[in-house]
Amino acid sequence: MASEALVQLFHVYKQYAGEGPALADATLEVGRGEFVFLTGPSGAGKSTLLKLIFCAEPATSGQLLVFGRNVAKILPRHVPPLRRAIGVVFQDFKLLPHRTVAENVAVPLEVRGLAPRDVARKVAVVLRSVGLELKAGKFPLSLSGGEQQRVAVARALVGDPALLLADEPTGNLDPDRTVEVMDLIEAANARGTTVVVATHDRSLLERYQRRVIALESGRVISDGDAFRRRAGS
Amino acid sequence: MVLRPLSFVRRALEAMARGPFMTAVAVGTLFVALFTTGLFAAVLGGAERLLAAWAGDVQISVYLRPDADLPAAARAAAQLAGGREVQAVPPAEALRRLRASLGPEAAVLDGVSADVLPASVEVRAPGISLAQARALAARLQAVPGAADVDFGNAWLERVEVLLRRLRWAGLALFGVLALATAVLVSNTLRLGVYARRDEIEIMKLVGATDAWVEAPFLVEGVLQGLLGGALAVAALLGLHALLAPRLAAAVGVAAPLARAEVVPPALVLALVGGGAALGLAASALAVGRFLRKP
Repeated sequence: MASEALVQLFHVYKQYAGEGPALADATLEVGRGEFVFLTGPSGAGKSTLLKLIFCAEPATSGQLLVFGRNVAKILPRHVPPLRRAIGVVFQDFKLLPHRTVAENVAVPLEVRGLAPRDVARKVAVVLRSVGLELKAGKFPLSLSGGEQQRVAVARALVGDPALLLADEPTGNLDPDRTVEVMDLIEAANARGTTVVVATHDRSLLERYQRRVIALESGRVISDGDAFRRRAGS
Repeated sequence: MVLRPLSFVRRALEAMARGPFMTAVAVGTLFVALFTTGLFAAVLGGAERLLAAWAGDVQISVYLRPDADLPAAARAAAQLAGGREVQAVPPAEALRRLRASLGPEAAVLDGVSADVLPASVEVRAPGISLAQARALAARLQAVPGAADVDFGNAWLERVEVLLRRLRWAGLALFGVLALATAVLVSNTLRLGVYARRDEIEIMKLVGATDAWVEAPFLVEGVLQGLLGGALAVAALLGLHALLAPRLAAAVGVAAPLARAEVVPPALVLALVGGGAALGLAASALAVGRFLRKP
């Protein structure tokens, strides 16, 4: 594990009204430059954990530090700068249907106030890296599910985020496309981006042999070497 | 983070082009609200000017005693009236006017001597209020030989009351109209914000500040307001061109119905500027409530 912690959870609970805990007493740490898989069955709390990290939802209790800042007590005006340092690949892509692929990928850069020329250059580079340079002018709904997923990855990576969160990034992909997308994420990690991938796809865990945090009913049931031992046995 | 105002304008124009229906609804709502307001202001202003044109030509008559010196009374009246037009009316002239006013019935005056009517001094005071007319009439009581001073107070008082009621009714109606307009426009623009909720959500998730999300909506509100205001002005001018000649012929007074009087530059500016301000305020309210909802 890397020495400097980028994400730290201390006894974090998340409870939705009228439901059982989505997260219960979660304590874990993700170091700078790490590549971590969050795994567990549906409803285990993987997506909830990611949402807490990028401040889409507040924790019910406990402490959650992202880039050293306690986001449990973060002021609303401090959320946007934090989010600009995080790239997120959403499970449902969250692409804007009336904007082209290039325009979708450009959104995080426009939000940062980059000059249009710089936006165009960076978008072209990242679209080439995900193999979608010829689809730049297409609209998302005209693309296949795999292509849409790659657009979502491109949008998450275009701003060179310090932290990349991916929620089931290969959930809609065939095996070949899965490898393509995971390779993109791994390449980002190799460039220094800390990566947290939520997935229930065990083949990914076996193929990429990274740290695995397993969740079940909102609790962390194993962390780190446990899966590797199982995978290696 | 760098703010690029031109990019907000570009995004606003793109959004308007992408959602022509919502844009048309918003501009249409603003147009109806501003046109109604403008029409109301034009009609109220026109009515006031017409009434003033009819009633404002105040004439004060100082009737003299039989032994009074008419030229001396006229001089004194001129002095007291402060340079206003003064005319001495001897009894013979008064009788001639009476005959003229009776028209075909003038025969009833046959055999009536001019001495029956008193000499008088007439002071014309166009465009003064009832209070001013009353004060002037009180001063004219000092004319040597004055028996009675008449300034048509009953008629003037009725007109003044009518104008006062018209102003109050106008103010109340304008208040109700303004409130209804603000609510209507805000709700219409809120529909536009709601239609783009996914876009707003995604922008916020990738790190957009509220101000960054809000700015194009505000620009859009201003542009829609300007457009609605301009259309309202155009419609008012069209309506004026259509109706003013007929109305002027019907009431026999044209000057108060001239275009510059009915739709003055101040009203044009108020409608266009007010439209922009209304669009801005309604947008701010609509998007602000959406962004800051729990």
